[in-house]
Amino acid sequence: MTQEHEDPKFEQWLKDAARTTYHAPRTPPREEMWARIEAARRDKHVIELRPWLRWAVAAAAVLVLGIGIGRWSRNAPAGSKAAAGTQVANEIDSLASVAYQVAATQYLSRTEAFLTSFRADANRSTNTARLAHQARELLATTQLMLDSPAADNPRLRALLEDLELVLMQISLLNPVQDGHDRDLITQGMNQTNVLPKLRSAIPAGPVPVRRTEGAL
Amino acid sequence: MDESQLIARVRAGDSAAERALYDAHVDRVYRLAFRLAGDDALAQDFTQETFIRAFDRLGSFRGDAAFSTWLHTITTTVVLNGLRKVKRFRQREADIDDAHDIGVVRRHAEPDLKVRLKQAIDDLPEGYRTVFLMHDVEGYTHEEIGVALGVETGTSKAQLSRARAKLRVALADFAGEWVQ
Repeated sequence: MTQEHEDPKFEQWLKDAARTTYHAPRTPPREEMWARIEAARRDKHVIELRPWLRWAVAAAAVLVLGIGIGRWSRNAPAGSKAAAGTQVANEIDSLASVAYQVAATQYLSRTEAFLTSFRADANRSTNTARLAHQARELLATTQLMLDSPAADNPRLRALLEDLELVLMQISLLNPVQDGHDRDLITQGMNQTNVLPKLRSAIPAGPVPVRRTEGAL
Repeated sequence: MDESQLIARVRAGDSAAERALYDAHVDRVYRLAFRLAGDDALAQDFTQETFIRAFDRLGSFRGDAAFSTWLHTITTTVVLNGLRKVKRFRQREADIDDAHDIGVVRRHAEPDLKVRLKQAIDDLPEGYRTVFLMHDVEGYTHEEIGVALGVETGTSKAQLSRARAKLRVALADFAGEWVQ
């Protein structure tokens, strides 16, 4: 049944006009594309990490390593611990704890600064592309953390999931029509209390820089 | 040899079968990429990325849907994600260009149908534009579009209807052409 707003004449005219004039495709260069596909698949194991991704991977690696060492040192049998020596075990615990604290604090502080800045500028439509770029960087780290043992902590996991959602929304902001979207994201941030939760997860005071020497 | 046999051979590492599968689908993948991107270099990049991902993930293709449907799901994901990145990058460049052009008065010629149609389609929201191009221009069914975009068939139909309504308003000056 033809609905009231449908107009078969218009639809046919539109189809014909769009097919012939809108981005009318050329003949695809099959051989050139195939050569590049083969080359890319040959070299797929060589991945060059971008600087921000290197940072993210390093942060996540430190988290995994730190937590892993921490658990190992806590869960090791008493006999082996004694054999290794109390002092060594304590140092491993301390190192893991510091490494984890530094990596997590850096990530959480950076995210807190970013979201605070975003909320403060929520009514402006400037720098959307830069915001989206920064959100993508933080999103990558968030997702790495979600996949790490750090996410075994239910509270931290809940916070990371909230951050993932907010960062995902910011990374997809449309530079042209972002005013309304920004308002919605800010409302969502306020409703979920993500910033207060984030701030409470950041340890008070500066990161103990001297103690991190050799840990990272 | 039917397509399921071809896919089995690709999974077994047969490079000739890979090429045969590529030849069977590359034209339609490229057409869709070009319609959505409007740029030959981008369309080639997206086509290549689609096949690279498809060959890498062929193990996860279960055969529940047609291979072409699965492949076009990858195509739309690659193209739409790629276009979002390009759009943001171009917007940043445009912001810089606009800052340099302050005080310059631009003259716009009266646009013809081709220009107005392009502008009207480009101005559609991403979802409307994608469904319109896939259905009305490239001939995909609503079922295929639904699978490719991960939406219900009814959503695809609704978006097409809204896209046409917006285009009808935008192209009202040319009403004489379709009324005839």
